[in-house]
Amino acid sequence: MFKIRINNIEVDAEAGETILSVSQRAGVSIPTLCHMDGIEHYTSCMVCMVRDKASDSYLPSCTALVREGMDIDASGEDVVSARKKAVELLLSEHRAECEAPCRIVCPAGYDIPRLNRLLAAGEYIKAIELVMSELDAPEIRCLSCRGYCENACRRRKIDRQVSIRNIRIFIYHNLNYQGGPQKPVELTEFPDFKKIFSSRTGRIEEEELKEWLKECREAGKRFESVTDFISAGEEAKNCMHCDCRASDNCRLRELAQELGIRDRGNKVAGLPLTKKISQGTGLIFEHAKCIKCGLCVRICEDKKEEPSLCFINRGFVSLISEPLTAEFDDIPAAQAELCVNVCPTGALSFF
Amino acid sequence: MNKKTVNTREETCSCQSTGTDKIIPVVEEVVALTGKGKDRVIPILQEVQKRLSYIPSEALRHICKITDITPGQISGVSTFYSQFHHLPTGKHIIKVCSGTACHVKGSQLISDSFRRVLNIGDRKNTSPDNLFSIEEVACLGCCTLAPVVQIDDKTYGHVKPTQAGDILKDFLVSGGKVSRSEDKASLAGHDAEVRIGLGSCCIAGGSRNILSRLIEITDSFDLRIKIKPVGCVGVCNQTPLLEIVAGNGEHSRYTNVTQDQVEEILLRHIGPESLTKKIRYRINDLADTFVTDHLLESPVNIPADEREKYLNNFTRKQVRLATMHCGILTPDSVEEYLMLGGFDALKKTIQSGDPGQITDIIIKSDLRGRGGAGFPTGEKWRIVANEPGKLKYIVCNGDEGDPGAFMDRMLLESFPYRIIEGMLIAAYATGASEGIFYIRAEYPLAVERIGNALKHCYEKGFLGENILGSEFSFRAEIFEGAGAFVCGEETALITSLEGRRGTPHLRPPFPAVRGYRNRPTLVNNVETLAVVPWIINMGAEAFSRTGSEKSKGTKVFALAGKTARGGLIEVPMGITVREIIEDIGEGVAEGRKFKAVQIGGPSGGCIPASMADTPVDYEELNRMGAMMGSGGLVVLDNTDCMVDVAKYFLSFTHKQSCGKCTFCRVGTKHMLDILTRLSEGKADMKEIDELESLCHYVKNGSLCGLGKTAPNPVITGLKYFRKEYEAHASGICPAKKCRELIRYVITDKCTGCTKCSQECPVGAIGFRPYEKHEINQELCTKCDNCRIVCPENAVEIMDNNV
Repeated sequence: MFKIRINNIEVDAEAGETILSVSQRAGVSIPTLCHMDGIEHYTSCMVCMVRDKASDSYLPSCTALVREGMDIDASGEDVVSARKKAVELLLSEHRAECEAPCRIVCPAGYDIPRLNRLLAAGEYIKAIELVMSELDAPEIRCLSCRGYCENACRRRKIDRQVSIRNIRIFIYHNLNYQGGPQKPVELTEFPDFKKIFSSRTGRIEEEELKEWLKECREAGKRFESVTDFISAGEEAKNCMHCDCRASDNCRLRELAQELGIRDRGNKVAGLPLTKKISQGTGLIFEHAKCIKCGLCVRICEDKKEEPSLCFINRGFVSLISEPLTAEFDDIPAAQAELCVNVCPTGALSFF
Repeated sequence: MNKKTVNTREETCSCQSTGTDKIIPVVEEVVALTGKGKDRVIPILQEVQKRLSYIPSEALRHICKITDITPGQISGVSTFYSQFHHLPTGKHIIKVCSGTACHVKGSQLISDSFRRVLNIGDRKNTSPDNLFSIEEVACLGCCTLAPVVQIDDKTYGHVKPTQAGDILKDFLVSGGKVSRSEDKASLAGHDAEVRIGLGSCCIAGGSRNILSRLIEITDSFDLRIKIKPVGCVGVCNQTPLLEIVAGNGEHSRYTNVTQDQVEEILLRHIGPESLTKKIRYRINDLADTFVTDHLLESPVNIPADEREKYLNNFTRKQVRLATMHCGILTPDSVEEYLMLGGFDALKKTIQSGDPGQITDIIIKSDLRGRGGAGFPTGEKWRIVANEPGKLKYIVCNGDEGDPGAFMDRMLLESFPYRIIEGMLIAAYATGASEGIFYIRAEYPLAVERIGNALKHCYEKGFLGENILGSEFSFRAEIFEGAGAFVCGEETALITSLEGRRGTPHLRPPFPAVRGYRNRPTLVNNVETLAVVPWIINMGAEAFSRTGSEKSKGTKVFALAGKTARGGLIEVPMGITVREIIEDIGEGVAEGRKFKAVQIGGPSGGCIPASMADTPVDYEELNRMGAMMGSGGLVVLDNTDCMVDVAKYFLSFTHKQSCGKCTFCRVGTKHMLDILTRLSEGKADMKEIDELESLCHYVKNGSLCGLGKTAPNPVITGLKYFRKEYEAHASGICPAKKCRELIRYVITDKCTGCTKCSQECPVGAIGFRPYEKHEINQELCTKCDNCRIVCPENAVEIMDNNV
């Protein structure tokens, strides 16, 4: 047992402990992304960086062990700016389009992609609950709106926009369907969500469209006018889900918010946009959202019979992938579940 | 076969048809040979690739099936190391070296011209007929012959962009065979000794051909001479080098020897035995004087002192400890090493009976790690020695991947026994019982020589149980790296040894405490181990007498780039940069100006000419923003662009980054993007500031030495050559190097000889005999061919924006 200083406070520390765990005990919070208690260290994201004033060096606190005489600065200006840079760099190779164009332009801020997803899955009651909880006026605002959402819809680039307004208005008129909503949905949402990493409206590359179309895997029928829940569901299946499934549950977005980063910054070129979707488990992997923290790799045991995710390639082009000896579809449901749970961004999610 | 066409249909690759039926037996055979442990994954993949020329996914699956290797592991490992191919490659592999020295001498143009000749598209690597695959490799370690191209085992040096077609023809005609006749070198009774260097540079310079010619002549004239292949001679850009030691002890040396000259040189010094042959020799000699006039220019007619001035100046300021007996010792001969006092240090060590005393000597000598960081070697030994536990390892780090550095290769190739002896002494001092030579796969000759040397050492009892009759036992083996620069970092090297992706981890724990297989592991650089026997023999004081205050002893550098002379040099620490460049390297070529010297490769920096009086030692170089690194020393002249050099190094570190930590993976990418934009004239002043700030973050925030030192070339560039960066921001490349900022123009000097028009690969110059030619700027790819071939120097490079 010896003492070290963290933010000028003397703290007891024991050999073999990490700076992070000592700091947490001392009540000093240090953000992390790639770290998770109980899983082997990987030291990748570097957002947990602190500065040891004694040796004048920056250290990743999740892995660096305490040493006698350390004088840690865990919240100073230099440290925060280094952390901020780390997050900015991660964002520069991250798709960082948390919200879909339709939602951004919606004057009421309705969560359009989520509604479409519920309808497509046949979760009609949940869809009603969502619409209910978003009602902030006596009647749904779509009735008097000119439909900016449909103008922004990227589906237009392929055939025609999803009939967002008609779907919503139909639901609004059928709120009592099968007894109506059971319980109100609690919306967890970023304040200023429109300003933090929203999608580019109107612009989408050919190649992106192709990948995004994978989201419409069961789509086919189009219904301009929505007359029942079936047609609402069918029409909703044409939504390409330009938003991120983790838009309200993303460590990277939270951290960016905490550090006051609003700009997506300069993007680095050459990132693949591919979406992989497993037919069996519904696991989706979007490379462009992956920060290569390796949590999904580390949480699964690399077994012969059950292929799990692994790293392939080196350096900037390294990616998370299924093993070269297996298909993405071969990843068993249990592994997929573990991976989605630990993923700090929306790179891994379920359909 | 029509010898003139390069793409020969008959030779169409057979490896395409590698069927499943062949893959499985090959995998089974390999696994039976290498073992099936998890840590065998790299050797298994290497063997499979050797046999199948690539690694099909069927093979990956079968390896997983019959060994302990898991799918995730094999996928990660086989894609991490650049040596492994997952798609069939062409029958022959062309490796275009993109090391520093080759880069500054235009390797990009060489690569482009091979692609053009073979009709290989931008995103492809294999010619349409599957005969050739092309790849750019980090460094072939033949920097003094830059630019270098290697096709299979055959190396071509000093390549010009206009020669691509001829080289391919030569390769196909010769069948890619390199004569390997050194074994035949006779050792019987003789009148004189003829020494011929057989390091990689020498071989690339053609010394194997010289050797076969030597043997041929010796046989045909029945000469009583001893032909002796020796290791690297150091004067690598003047190879092949021939040294004749006559019976009376007189030495005569010849540089740049060609095959035609061998007979003449030989017969000048040594007369034939039998009478008939004497007569034949006379007649030949007489005939030659009549028929040819080349004799006048022949090297034998140049007075000895003039001929050898070059070599003498080169060696005058050098001090040879690690490279002792350079140019004398036959690398493969243990007998010779013993005769010259080899293994005396080991005997002394074992006789001392006190490991602590040996460590003390090393501590007292102040020897510091020659791998770059300069950690005191003795201290490291002590840490390992003090660790409890019986099983300890020693790793000799020969994963020299820095572009522009080749001293580890040369030491391994030329002095294998000395390095083994160094390792044995370290093992005795630290109590280690197993050793591993981690050698880059790009150094096949080094692997071969160390392999032979290890075999001989086991036979002679220097390795194995109870060495020299003592209690001391030690075993050593080779592990071939698989092409990842980051594995030069000791923690990454160890993960790679364990059969994992070579990603570094944070220290502590240091390998000296917990390393290979979680045991204490001493990781020492090749050069560090090579000087150990000298220190033990001569004493710590003798060693620390040489050198500067804080850096003792000598350092081996690979001197390359724009100096008149280049090669491997060993100089005392504290010598100034200027002394190295001007006295040993004889300055830059005429008409050019010495601009800067790049020390330490991608981790180092550029020291400007104005600061050339800086003494070379660890602290001084760090203070300048450069670094000893592993000792690459590339001299730049006024035609080299500092932005281009920085961009070159950044693209190297970016490509070699393991991808683990954010700052190195993404930060270097941003830096590279800005440098690329600068070199294209698309960046503004603000971006220079952004670049500077990125340097700061990447330096502080990266996990390992690779990332922490990656910004150094940019930092020193901005520090000493900021004006040049700013010029790029306004669209001008002062050195006229950045392709986007220059254009080629034909001046009035043009006589209309049409040579440029014939050489232009894209038809940008119209064929107009006896008229002034013009370059169509739209079509011009700036390949430099026209400027090279113009006999009138009428092709000039101009700023694009003027």
